[in-house]
Amino acid sequence: MRRLYLLLITSCFLSVGFAQTITVNGVVLDSGTGTPLLGASVVQKGTLNGVTTDFDGNFSIEDLVQGDKLIVSYVGFISQEVSVTGDATISISLEEDIATLDEIVVIGYGTQRKKEITGAVAVVTAETIEELKPVRVEQALQGQVSGVQITSQSGSPGSALDIRIRGISTNGDNRPLILVDGNVIEDLSVLNPSDIENINVLKDATAGIYGVRAANGVILITTKTGRKNTPLTFDYEAYGGFQETTRRLPTLNATEYGLLVNEAFAANGDPIVFNNISNLGQGTDWQDEVFSKAPIFSTSLTVRGGTKKSTYSGGASLLTQDGIVGGDKANFTRYTVRGNFNTEFFDKLKFKSSLIYTGTKRKTLQENGIGSVLYNALNMDPTLGTTGNNNGFSRAENLPIEVINPLAQIENTFNETTVNKISGVFGLSYKPLKNITAEVNYQWNYAEVKALFYTPLADFGVQGIADKVFDRLDVNSYVEDERLFRDYTFDAFVTYEESFNDIHNLTATAGMSVFKSTGDFYINTGFNLPDLPFEDLSLDDAETVQNNFINRSNRIFDSRLLSYFGRVQYNYKGKYLLSAVIRRDGSTNFAPENKFGVFPSVSVGWVASDESFLEDNSAIDFLKVRGSYGIIGNDRIDAFLFTSLLNGEGVYVINDELDFGTAIGVISNPDIKWEEQKTLDIGVDTRFLNNKLNVEIDYFSRETKDLLLVVQTSGITGSTAPGSGNPTANAGTVRNKGLEFSMGYRDKLSDEFSFSANYNFTTLDNEVIKVNNGIGFEQGGGFSIGQGFPARMEEGFPLGYFYGYETNGLFQTQDEATNAPTQIELGANARAGDIRFVDQNGDGVIDSDDKTYIGDPIPDVTMGINLSFDYKGFDFQTYFFASIGNEIVRNYERNDRFTNRTVSYLDRWTGPGTSNTFPRVTTGATSNLVFSDFYVEDGSFVRAQNMQLGYTLKEKTLDRFGLSKLRVYVSVSNVFTLTKYGGYDPTVSTGAPIGGGFDQGLYPNPRTYLLGVNMKF
Amino acid sequence: MKLKFILTLCVLSLAACSDDFVDVESNDENSENFFNSEADYQSALIGAYDMLQSSYLNVMVGEIASNNTLAGGESATDVIGIQQIDNMIHTPENQQLRDIWSWMFAGVNRANYIMEFQDKTEFQNKPNVIGQTRFLRAYYYFELVKWFGDVPLSIDQRIFFGDQSTIDRAPKAEVYALIEQDLIFAANNLPYTQADTGRATKGAAEALLGKAYLYQGKFQEAAQVLDGLINNGPHNLQSDFTTLFENDNENNIESVFEVQYSDLEGAGFDCLQCSEGNVAVGFSGPRNFNGPLFEAGFSFNVPTQETYDAFDENDIRRDFSILNIEAFAIENQDYNNGAGVSWTEGFEHTGFFNRKYIPRQGDSNIGDQNLTNPNNYRSIRFSDVLLMAAEAHSNATGNEGLALQYLNLVRNRAGLESVTLSGNALTQAIYLERRLELVGEGHHFFDLVRTGRAAGQIEGFVTGKHELFPIPEIEIQLTGNRWAQNPGY
Repeated sequence: MRRLYLLLITSCFLSVGFAQTITVNGVVLDSGTGTPLLGASVVQKGTLNGVTTDFDGNFSIEDLVQGDKLIVSYVGFISQEVSVTGDATISISLEEDIATLDEIVVIGYGTQRKKEITGAVAVVTAETIEELKPVRVEQALQGQVSGVQITSQSGSPGSALDIRIRGISTNGDNRPLILVDGNVIEDLSVLNPSDIENINVLKDATAGIYGVRAANGVILITTKTGRKNTPLTFDYEAYGGFQETTRRLPTLNATEYGLLVNEAFAANGDPIVFNNISNLGQGTDWQDEVFSKAPIFSTSLTVRGGTKKSTYSGGASLLTQDGIVGGDKANFTRYTVRGNFNTEFFDKLKFKSSLIYTGTKRKTLQENGIGSVLYNALNMDPTLGTTGNNNGFSRAENLPIEVINPLAQIENTFNETTVNKISGVFGLSYKPLKNITAEVNYQWNYAEVKALFYTPLADFGVQGIADKVFDRLDVNSYVEDERLFRDYTFDAFVTYEESFNDIHNLTATAGMSVFKSTGDFYINTGFNLPDLPFEDLSLDDAETVQNNFINRSNRIFDSRLLSYFGRVQYNYKGKYLLSAVIRRDGSTNFAPENKFGVFPSVSVGWVASDESFLEDNSAIDFLKVRGSYGIIGNDRIDAFLFTSLLNGEGVYVINDELDFGTAIGVISNPDIKWEEQKTLDIGVDTRFLNNKLNVEIDYFSRETKDLLLVVQTSGITGSTAPGSGNPTANAGTVRNKGLEFSMGYRDKLSDEFSFSANYNFTTLDNEVIKVNNGIGFEQGGGFSIGQGFPARMEEGFPLGYFYGYETNGLFQTQDEATNAPTQIELGANARAGDIRFVDQNGDGVIDSDDKTYIGDPIPDVTMGINLSFDYKGFDFQTYFFASIGNEIVRNYERNDRFTNRTVSYLDRWTGPGTSNTFPRVTTGATSNLVFSDFYVEDGSFVRAQNMQLGYTLKEKTLDRFGLSKLRVYVSVSNVFTLTKYGGYDPTVSTGAPIGGGFDQGLYPNPRTYLLGVNMKF
Repeated sequence: MKLKFILTLCVLSLAACSDDFVDVESNDENSENFFNSEADYQSALIGAYDMLQSSYLNVMVGEIASNNTLAGGESATDVIGIQQIDNMIHTPENQQLRDIWSWMFAGVNRANYIMEFQDKTEFQNKPNVIGQTRFLRAYYYFELVKWFGDVPLSIDQRIFFGDQSTIDRAPKAEVYALIEQDLIFAANNLPYTQADTGRATKGAAEALLGKAYLYQGKFQEAAQVLDGLINNGPHNLQSDFTTLFENDNENNIESVFEVQYSDLEGAGFDCLQCSEGNVAVGFSGPRNFNGPLFEAGFSFNVPTQETYDAFDENDIRRDFSILNIEAFAIENQDYNNGAGVSWTEGFEHTGFFNRKYIPRQGDSNIGDQNLTNPNNYRSIRFSDVLLMAAEAHSNATGNEGLALQYLNLVRNRAGLESVTLSGNALTQAIYLERRLELVGEGHHFFDLVRTGRAAGQIEGFVTGKHELFPIPEIEIQLTGNRWAQNPGY
């Protein structure tokens, strides 16, 4: 059947009719293992006459004469040229290409041989992705590529990950530009990782060819395509398994809790609460109640192949994953279908196209914040049972109004976000002359994001009436939030390539690009709906419906870019390399006089190993020194901030009805202009030991000036009015500098045993150089309830550092407390057993002037290590990543008199000398809850992210089943984490530049056990 | 073929190349191109009214600043800015003061936006629209001058980003001059009765003008304008005090000006000023309350025993102004089949709550229900007008008979005997009556300050310092430290 199909396809594209002379038959083998290579290409040099090898590596090529040359090639192997001698049967053994120097790297509006690249570019291949089994693409970069830091915002299924290339430079948008086959993609959750052929990360100023938006680096993702002259092959992958939490925080059991509550009450002279501690027992472990094992399942099928002139591929996949908190109430399901087709209409005219459809459905629970499920599980009273008279659940008696029974919370949470997205790429390239190529590409995305939220009537209250913030007693509500996103990019460019005597090699590219992106939002809230299942609800059934876009347009943004660019690449004998880029960008985000910016970059390289004095050096196989410097512009701010619009909120009550008026929105600033980022990169690429060992080192320094910041501004501008907001201004300078190091070693110790090891680390030094908003800092984040902003962006400090009080142990005696600088300004006079704060300015008073640097969320060093072994049919991979020197704020404790605590409080202060860290418990007023370094913990960690053991079945066994490859594997991800951090997961952060690193009960990343299979046929 | 293709490429490029491609107008109306019809003016006017709702904070914090109530809340650190003001230890770093500053200026800006374009389009109803606009601007500036003294003054133009580094604080007298002009204009151009409930009237403008005069010690002018309102306006005391503050008795005859709130829209803690409800109400409710009539809240703004005891036993107002929770529990011990009334004690629990503005049962409880209470704030009541007029007469005009008459109207409605007093005794009696009549309504602190009695009454009050609140430190820094701080801070 398959062969018939192949025949049909080939008959469409092949042209026939050559004079017959000699036919050569042969076999292509892997020189290392001696196994036949399927799909290797054998082409008569200088012609289109070519074939591919079959399952047994055999080929047969006709129409040859003696002296003809055959080019035998296979991806990942060094191509060989063979002369036709008349020998009817030949055997060709291809060497595996370890050096990969001839690898072609996508660099933006073109490709370049890796050897000749002058920028800092890192590549992640499909094999790595296959080994890692990431659920999301970002995870394939985690710990794999130096200079790239990946943090998850949450461990819940479908939640976003933050990619930061070489640190953060703004309190605004730090996301890199992500292009999938040239198409801008903002949200990587829509991509199925196994569709990816490779990921290239451009880290330095050479990314400037992409101009705007390249300031935070560029990630180029190429999806799998077929190869010419290959038979139709199928790849089938499936894995399934389960997930569990890696940790439960050690909270007090009911007896311990009862004793501590009594002690706290007694300390304040209040009557004790639990008169009979002995019958409290263990009580309810609320974490056990909310955590569960959750299934995960993924399957995908990819087909690909190619004829003489065309390549094609397609695929479909399904992923479904429940949450370790909330089970199917936190489900994420993704379907993807994609296809691409590339062909040559004529010799000189090539066409490419791809189409991707993605659908996702996601349900979420309250996360990371006061009132989130885990926050409630940690703070809930363990003496309460789970069941009661709130629709079968117990009410959270006596607890603060935002702490409720987390099981009741899960039960009463109803929401679903559906994304339907279609992306397409069409491109034509035309080569009218030998050295000129013209190319046009049109890329577009259309996405519908529909979110539904239902808030049913529920009563979590203390004793029946209106207590909890989550209570809905009289009116239920239903929100329908629909957002439509459309964008397109049109690129047109011409490339001229010329080589003069094989000495001077020149490539020049000139072109233009336009980009347009729009967003239309429709949000309606209905009240008083009939009591129906969530799935059956509709706004039509609501008693009243409120439109959130009264008196303002549904079109939230219309952002466009117009760019012209030019690049010259020159090398002398492939040894001295030069590349220069200039780009002019126009953006709709700035006022007419500031719309356009011109951004240049230049890079140079020297392949020293090609010099005569090193050419014969046996130790060094390759040595390249390169450097780049350039300026990249950034316009990533909200639309229309330069002009004052009437999109604020002006609602008042006239005649007892809401009257929707008009008001000014975000405060405008007509002076905003391009943010500029200046990046210097110096790097060395080397290979030793017969290309078995490679080492790459980069030093970078990136200074962003005229930072586009949302700045604090005087209240007299009306910036705090409903629907208004602070203006954006070019108000700062941030510098990131650091060192990136990566090395890899791979070796084949015998025919049966090979291994590889990769290690990388990145140091990062982030410093805010200037914040010129009048006050020298911006602030954000939140700690506990009703306290000021605990994080700052301030001159001379890392971006987003923690700003609070330094502590110096506890007061052991009342005398100590009385004689120390007064702490009354923080809320209460200190008593024995309270925290002693440091009087930074020595004025004898502890007040807000004594707040200082008490940590920051930016790691000093991040690193990753990968190991893989192959022995006979077995393969084993493992990979670790680590982060050192970042701090995390413990902010998941409610610290109310009736909320639960962690067991750390068993070691609290109970009298002189009992503790110098954990303060006394009391229901009275203290300053112990004020944000201080008591709440700051070391967030460094080493995580074993993945271990995988696979077995690939022998070819002979497979032939019977028509398979060419069958691999089964077991894998564990998030295996273990070494850390001193006491919370759930040090790898999770909200990612906010100011306010990241505050843990309010973040949903941890699960440990996942998988059993999977890969098949090719 | 080749030529065609290259041509197409060029045309495509050229078509898209024009720099106009990046000139885009937002679909939202640009603020410079508005005011083309009466509807536009009316719509912007609603926007200007909107900021009134954020003055819940002025009312609550103003009350806590006085000796009427304590901060309360959950703990000594629950909204630290409010706790500090209660104890008169507030500093220039105080989020609530910055909120009051910023929200009132947002109101000024929204009113000035209309004034900036007042001449753009003519229509018949314009005097009424501009009259309301100028009333609102005066209302916001009056709050600012009460709290902060000298403040930046902008007349008929918005304050833009960047202006903060050039604008200065105008002397109080200039601010009051604008308030007077605005209110005289409003009084001359507004009717006593508006077609819509909730809009500013001639009476509202006269009452606020009288108040502004009183705050400046201009007793003659105050007496004149307030007498005019008492004699010519439609307002009167409502005979039954006990239901005055219930939600079904809003915009009654006694309300000269009422800030309108609603429970029709939800609200969240991230934007308290965005709520259409009265946020102060939820903040003031008894903690974890379970019982009849009322709903729970955050136990802020709790009246003291001294305040409660300041009322005569027979004063109808006492138990309808202040909820004595213990007594209420005894009265309702049969509630819920004998379960009775329950609550938990918050910080600084006194057993009393500000009954005028605590949550009532019967509203929609739309989320967050603590922020969406629909209780209108009776900003200027007729009894306030009577007592202001009485004060003006007793201080300046020598017409003590009229002062007594006004005072006794208020006393009689409260079930108290008429009094006959004169001279300082009369003035003191009017002061006391103001405190009792208006307890819980946010006036007392400013009454104490303007009559020079604060130091003796408010613990921690330092004369020469606490008459004004500090300009938020960050506001001064954002001007490039051009403004001087208020004395003593």
